[in-house]
Amino acid sequence: MAYATTDRVPVFIDRDSPLRPDLVLVVTYLLISAIGLLMVYSATAPGLEARGLDPTRDLKEQAIFVVIGFVVFGIVSSIDLTEIRGFVGPVYVISIGLLVLVMTPLGDSAGIAQRWIDLGIVQFQPSEVAKIAVVLMLASILSMATTPLSWQTVARALVIVGVPAALIFLQPDLGTMLVFAFVMLVMLFAGGSTLRQLGFIALATIIGTVGLFQLNLIKDYQVTRLTAFIDPEGASLDAVYNQVQSEIAIGSGGLLGKGLFEGSQTNLQFVPVQASDFIFTAVGEQFGFVGSLIVLGLFGLLLFRLLLTALNARSRFSFLVVTGIAAMFAFHVFVNIGMTVRVMPVTGLPLPFMSSGGTFFVMMSAALGLAHSAWIRRNTTLAERPPG
Amino acid sequence: MNTSLRLGVIGAVFFALLALLTLRLWTMQVTEVQAYEERAERNQVRVVPTPAPRGDIFDRNGVKLAGTRSALAAIIDLALIDGSDRELLARNLAAFLDVPASGIIESMENDAQGGLLTVARDLDDDQVTFLVEHREQFPGVSIIPQPVRTYPGGETAAHIIGYIGRPNEEDLERDDVGPSDVVGKAGVERSYDAMLRGSEGIIQYQVDAKRKVLSLAGEQAPAAGQSLVLTIDAKLQQQLQDSLRDGLILARRLEMEERAVERASQSIGSRMAEALAAARAEAAERDAEVDESTTSTAPIGVDDDDVESPEPEATVDAVEVLASLYPGLPIDDQGVCVPVERVEVLRGETSAISGIEPRFVRVESITEVDGELEAVVSIGLERFTVRVNTSFGGTLQVLDITDDRVILHHRDRWCPVRSVGVITDPRDGSVLAMSSYPTYDPSVFVDGLSSEQWASLSTASAFQNFAVQGLYAPASTYKTVPYILALEENYYPLDRGVGDVEIGGGTTDTNADGSPAEPDVPLPLTSDTDPYNCSSEFKFTLNDGTVQTKRDWKWPSGHGPLDLHGALQASCDLYFWDLALRLWNERGDDSGIDKENLVQAYSRAFGFGELTGIDLPFERAGLVPDRAWFRAEQQAETGRVRPEGGWVGGDLMDLAVGQGAMLSTPLQLANGFAAMVNGGTLWQPRVVQQVIDSSGGVIDEFPRKSLGTIDISRRTVELLKVDLQQVVNNAERGTARAAFADFGPNVELIGGKTGTGEVIKADKSERFRQVDNAFFVGIAPINNPRYVVSIVVERGGSGGRVAAPVARQVLQYLINGPDAVTELSPGSDAD
Repeated sequence: MAYATTDRVPVFIDRDSPLRPDLVLVVTYLLISAIGLLMVYSATAPGLEARGLDPTRDLKEQAIFVVIGFVVFGIVSSIDLTEIRGFVGPVYVISIGLLVLVMTPLGDSAGIAQRWIDLGIVQFQPSEVAKIAVVLMLASILSMATTPLSWQTVARALVIVGVPAALIFLQPDLGTMLVFAFVMLVMLFAGGSTLRQLGFIALATIIGTVGLFQLNLIKDYQVTRLTAFIDPEGASLDAVYNQVQSEIAIGSGGLLGKGLFEGSQTNLQFVPVQASDFIFTAVGEQFGFVGSLIVLGLFGLLLFRLLLTALNARSRFSFLVVTGIAAMFAFHVFVNIGMTVRVMPVTGLPLPFMSSGGTFFVMMSAALGLAHSAWIRRNTTLAERPPG
Repeated sequence: MNTSLRLGVIGAVFFALLALLTLRLWTMQVTEVQAYEERAERNQVRVVPTPAPRGDIFDRNGVKLAGTRSALAAIIDLALIDGSDRELLARNLAAFLDVPASGIIESMENDAQGGLLTVARDLDDDQVTFLVEHREQFPGVSIIPQPVRTYPGGETAAHIIGYIGRPNEEDLERDDVGPSDVVGKAGVERSYDAMLRGSEGIIQYQVDAKRKVLSLAGEQAPAAGQSLVLTIDAKLQQQLQDSLRDGLILARRLEMEERAVERASQSIGSRMAEALAAARAEAAERDAEVDESTTSTAPIGVDDDDVESPEPEATVDAVEVLASLYPGLPIDDQGVCVPVERVEVLRGETSAISGIEPRFVRVESITEVDGELEAVVSIGLERFTVRVNTSFGGTLQVLDITDDRVILHHRDRWCPVRSVGVITDPRDGSVLAMSSYPTYDPSVFVDGLSSEQWASLSTASAFQNFAVQGLYAPASTYKTVPYILALEENYYPLDRGVGDVEIGGGTTDTNADGSPAEPDVPLPLTSDTDPYNCSSEFKFTLNDGTVQTKRDWKWPSGHGPLDLHGALQASCDLYFWDLALRLWNERGDDSGIDKENLVQAYSRAFGFGELTGIDLPFERAGLVPDRAWFRAEQQAETGRVRPEGGWVGGDLMDLAVGQGAMLSTPLQLANGFAAMVNGGTLWQPRVVQQVIDSSGGVIDEFPRKSLGTIDISRRTVELLKVDLQQVVNNAERGTARAAFADFGPNVELIGGKTGTGEVIKADKSERFRQVDNAFFVGIAPINNPRYVVSIVVERGGSGGRVAAPVARQVLQYLINGPDAVTELSPGSDAD
């Protein structure tokens, strides 16, 4: 073999190399990003125009981050996961530090939640970094443990996830906290936990959530969002408004949609925060069931490639990292789209590669890059051998 | 379970979740689509932004100077009307509003912002009722509340408050400004715009599938802007404005009298001429100090209030006679001159315009008609017949040429242009009042300005705040700077003797044998109480060998021997010229600018030549000239300095008496004086002291802020205050004494300094008289200063004559109360 598998290799260069990129994954990623940009534009342009501002302002802003995201994806893809392993501890500690920093006056408060650090030009959301740090850290300890997992390992995993989750809960960001819970469950399962252990954690989560309600630790607006989901008629108009408008927008899209820029809900700025959390409504209304299915299909393809990567992973660490990342994407996609069609409550989780938001796009690209790196350096004995 | 199996389970879960979403989408978008479509149709809502009311502006005592009233406006939402309905709507609206339908259609196509178009502002109740009752005829029209700016004080503090208007391109670069917004254009409306604006609200209308407005769906009230509390005292401001207006009218009347005297003396045989000449002679006899002319021009000014009859009748007659003799002379209904006049000349018609200087027009022919010159002039290819009254000078400037007329600006060379005043508190830099006249009412921008209104206000530069934008050579008021320099550096002019010794400076005589005589080398004075020969003429030799002569304002009589204190009180030019000359001769050279720039260093320490940083827009920095500046200007060929030769001693001497290239705003003058009398603290002036919310809670406070402290001794400050007090109170030589004669009680608490700045130096020709700006800076109470009053009357003549009386009224108000203000009368002509 021309290359030692641990060598850092240039990506996208040698088509005949056994270390060549996963073109299916890359193309899917680019397609979703492109559709995302188009949707951001269609959702923001009428509003900006009505205010007399440059209709492409938000599009341009997002496009900058998309380009940065592509570059980050490329760079991360070229890094071998085994090289990262040594840094997992420090990265985890730093991300915890950033989460603490958000609590300080340095953190910038948008609305009622304090989630950003203002870096002058861009605002930076540390919880996005924490997601990847937790996946890496969990993968690191689980990969060293024996299967089936001991209760001790499960306890350690709970602590590793618990600390950042608690900090994020304080921000407060219920959605991101749930991402951590889901990713942990999937990774524990993949890492070899027993069903009893999983059952115990699930039970603990339910008891914990009920406890939070009882102790009034959950903010009013979170309660309202959750109860609005369960009982839209009884909740206040504000809380239910987003979801009802979103549902109407998607439902009225029909089979083929109303066409680009023809969505009355979208163009009349019906759905609040449409460009970020409710970006999927722009797809549903303008491109209908067919368009929605294409977007869902692209995400399905992405998840399939990720699971395939996990299957072919060269090491247990890589396997766990890729599984964790896949879980993270799956949860984001399901909760976000589920929220827009009212099968999930409103939690404020964005849709990967489509919702506007700089840190989110870049960190999701980095996460995908990690998985892609694992593919490039996969165990080729299991997969089809490259010709020659 | 092995790894692959576990992955398989995970994959199955993922795809189950996606399948669930697909199922849900299928239900919504395919099986139940009709229900959703209906809801979407039914549920269409139009969102209309509602502008936020701007914050109020209060004076320091809570008097409202700017507020907001709610009015109802009719807007069209173009998204709600079909193309076919537009014409019908336009016709109905045209009938309703009594305007042409074509204009409305044009607006619909061009002016709508985000599909919204305001068609009528400030509807009355009947109009609203009509629109609501005939909703069918006005599809897409809705009535929304719109705030309207009000200025209850009218012209009071207009220049501080400023005005609002549509954003220009520069405003639109701000993130929070859209084209349909209203932004501050001047004054605190501009400098505090972001705080005053607030954030707009929205009104949501439920509309049906046919886009008819069904009901109000929701409303988010706009958040009102924050309010400002000014440091201004509205009543004091009103007094200042009244005094400035009256002072300017007085100055213009005095100018007309001078013209009458001049004109009458030319029309020999006239009864008027005799009467006026007699009055003039009498006045000249009584008060030799009246004369302030510096050149060979015939003496002017019969305006000392000490002089009794026959002045008053003569004044009235003079104006009347003048008006009847010279119908083209620009005289307004108050019998005073107009500094800038807009003249419209119809094509082919004869129009009488006085005082054309044939600079912008070509003179074709001149003939004498009834003692006046009738000239045929051409402007471009157009030819006009105009009466030219050349004796009064002036310039014509072509503004516009239309099909049937030419619009010109006729600028009178002598007519007093404007008066400017600032009152600050020397203890913290608060501006208590600030104004320049002519002024305007900010609400003209709310109600809409007619083109004539605009033309007349902009012709008079009424929108500019000359207190911070006007640059003037501060003249003798500036003598306090070299005065402080002399005391602090223990640096005095040369001893020129006090008897009949001719001041020769460095001039050389020849001995009887023809050989050059030993030059007389006088020693410098050593103390501020040493007498100096304040003669009327100063002949001096610069170190480049040139001999020059400068005349004191009190030529030819002179002041006699005076020490530093007397020199400031009497405003003796020679003392300060000589001080500057000594500085120049001893230190002035190309290599050591720092040593040479002592006067400049003191000036800058008191804030001259630098922005004060006041919280008002468009402030100008002024200029303290020095050798480096002179050289830079010369190299850049800006035309502001002599093209040949360098910075010379004469320039430094000019600077020492606040003339030459020196420029200062009236605010800088007040602020500099404040620092001199408060012991050396230069405050940053401010007009806003607090930002408050709508319920009066304090959001932000602006405490006093020091720009720096100047290290001057207590002795210097105390001596300065005594001398400033003497300027007003010394019967023998105080230049403002006459102006303050009828001040009433407490005049001993007043200090000040007069100033007379040359604008146009009189030349050799008899046709031109000198034009001067009048200055006065007043301090009260002098023992513990609380007020500094800086007054400028542009082309107002000498500082003692007009500017000091204006300040007198304001100080009467401040010290003795509103009832103690006595009528305005001219003071004596003194620098």
